[in-house]
Amino acid sequence: MFFELVGPGTIRVTFDEIEVELLRQIPAELQAIYQGSDPDPARDRLFPSPYLDPTEEEAEEQWNALVVPELLRERLEGLDAVLGTLDDAEVVRTVSDQEQTEVTLGPEALNLWLGVLNDARLTLGSRLEITDDTNHREQWELSPDDPDTPARAAYLWLTTLQELLVETMLETLPDTPPD
Amino acid sequence: MTTAPLEVQEPEVDDVTVTDKPWIVVVWNDPVNLMSYVVFVFQKLFGYSREKATRLMLEVHHDGKSVVSDGPREKCEGDVARLHAHGLWATMEHPS
Repeated sequence: MFFELVGPGTIRVTFDEIEVELLRQIPAELQAIYQGSDPDPARDRLFPSPYLDPTEEEAEEQWNALVVPELLRERLEGLDAVLGTLDDAEVVRTVSDQEQTEVTLGPEALNLWLGVLNDARLTLGSRLEITDDTNHREQWELSPDDPDTPARAAYLWLTTLQELLVETMLETLPDTPPD
Repeated sequence: MTTAPLEVQEPEVDDVTVTDKPWIVVVWNDPVNLMSYVVFVFQKLFGYSREKATRLMLEVHHDGKSVVSDGPREKCEGDVARLHAHGLWATMEHPS
């Protein structure tokens, strides 16, 4: 993966084939989690309860009936947007005959991508049971014998990509808001 | 001449005060969300300065939680919904 800033809040990222494969898997996996019916800590994390107070039962029911479907709809739009970007992307061949995919993301696309990448990382974090004590990436040993290694490698790569996209968006936000 | 102290009719403000007391929106610490992403979300959703957004993010990180907005119930519900849409773990409560 390499990148180039092409304007305010706009970045061109070039992905290798294997990276595009990973990105393309995310929407289907997230959709299955969003719409799954079995108890799932990852889904609970993505759609948390807004109230800690157990007496807010009625408000919570309303929330689940009115707000959650809207949040789900927005998330599904984000998944479509990521797939759409990849479908429309330009595929180029390197001198060594490797296929690379070049995407240009402006502010609107970046916002949607950030949401999807964040959900993907939250989901992997939940599956890998990442805690504050275990998220020190430099301590992770990516051993080929460990069945968690592919998920950890994906998590690390998505973290790098998300950091890059966040930095691009932060550049567009003022240090101090206009009065 | 003496005058008996006037019985002042206190306006009944108690109910009003109770219902007007703002709700608060709390964001909780999370081991996955990037610090830079949390700052970005606070700036984007609430229009906070980089400095304020960073201070709130550090509060979440170090203290485990931070109050990021307050107001009437409906406004707080909207804020919590936007925070959830961005993958932040947020709850709302009515301080008694």
